[in-house]
Amino acid sequence: MGLDAFNHSLVTHDLVQDLKWDAELRARFGTDRAAVLDRYALLAAEREAIEAGDFRTLYDMGLHPYLGGQLARLMYGNAAGPDATRAVNRLIASLTGTERPDDRTTT
Amino acid sequence: MADVVLAVAASHAPGLAGLYAGAPEDTKAEVDKMYGTMAAEIAAAELDVLIVIGNDHLANSRVLEYPDFLVGLAPEHVGPFEWFKPWLNCRDYRLRGNPEVGGAIINGMARRGIKFFGRRENLRFDDNLSIPTVLCDLDRNDVPVVPILQNCTVPPIPDQRRCYAVGEALGSIIRHDLPDGMRVGLFGSGGLSHEPGGKRYFFIDREFDDWFLGLLEHGDHDKLLDEVTPERAEQSGEGGTAELFAWFVVLGAIGPQPCTRLGYTAYDNFKCGVGAVRWEMGARTANGAV
Repeated sequence: MGLDAFNHSLVTHDLVQDLKWDAELRARFGTDRAAVLDRYALLAAEREAIEAGDFRTLYDMGLHPYLGGQLARLMYGNAAGPDATRAVNRLIASLTGTERPDDRTTT
Repeated sequence: MADVVLAVAASHAPGLAGLYAGAPEDTKAEVDKMYGTMAAEIAAAELDVLIVIGNDHLANSRVLEYPDFLVGLAPEHVGPFEWFKPWLNCRDYRLRGNPEVGGAIINGMARRGIKFFGRRENLRFDDNLSIPTVLCDLDRNDVPVVPILQNCTVPPIPDQRRCYAVGEALGSIIRHDLPDGMRVGLFGSGGLSHEPGGKRYFFIDREFDDWFLGLLEHGDHDKLLDEVTPERAEQSGEGGTAELFAWFVVLGAIGPQPCTRLGYTAYDNFKCGVGAVRWEMGARTANGAV
């Protein structure tokens, strides 16, 4: 997991970058996620992991953790405070396989 | 011959803006002290340009075509980039740029055998430039800025020795290529310990941070170069702590100078050790270096 498994050519990297850079695409991701994912040549397992919020699998496939954190914010909330905290906790929960409350702000 | 008249380095954790209001009072006081000191000193330094060496957090280039060093050549730097605004929760800003100095850096690096990239359009700024700007009032004090964004996280990253060597070249460019009398400031933006996007996202390695800041204060650059390695940084935060290699560019540019720790705080919700240092430019060290 982490940078040990980092795969420069993982297509999810382009997806996350585009979602950050393109507000229209980001809005579509919120309303019709499947249509956005259709635009990318994702591996079947890669797409399934995105749809399931399975960051552990994505990291094992080579997703860069920094972009993983941003994908979590794109999926669960990007605003400072409760939104982004929820995203961080759901990311950690997926990576560690343990339950975490959405509002936890400690290790 | 231009002169480096000010050199500082500090963390740029996004929570310093977006989560500041909810932080404990002692944390807020420490943040105010560190960034307030830097703000006052930058304002008083009458800088012609402030070169901010910050980290690019995969904000400006695709993973498959990632530059190690990217110079912002826009005449004006505007931020934060739209997607980062809710996350940073800081004011919008506009900074005067200096494309001439940016171009001189790129050309000077090329003459010294170092490949730098540049971009004329506005870069996408996240916390790397936004936090120093709003906490040190760079915009309100109309400080002209040239950002240099470095790869801190896409392997292989420029390590401590590479960054120091790049800094030595930057120092040479400032002394030999920039106009006589130009007053230059350097700001290393990044670190300290943190693990963005990792399973230890909230982890802060206070022991590592204190050790690193102590090494800076001690001023032994050989020891810093021997011991602050990418491997050591990764132990204290995968993909994040290595941001402090931006500080090594400043170290290389100025050489041994007395260094003062301006403060440190570790608040879990910032998800990053927050510290700052200032080097005494023009002061003489114990070994006689100026």
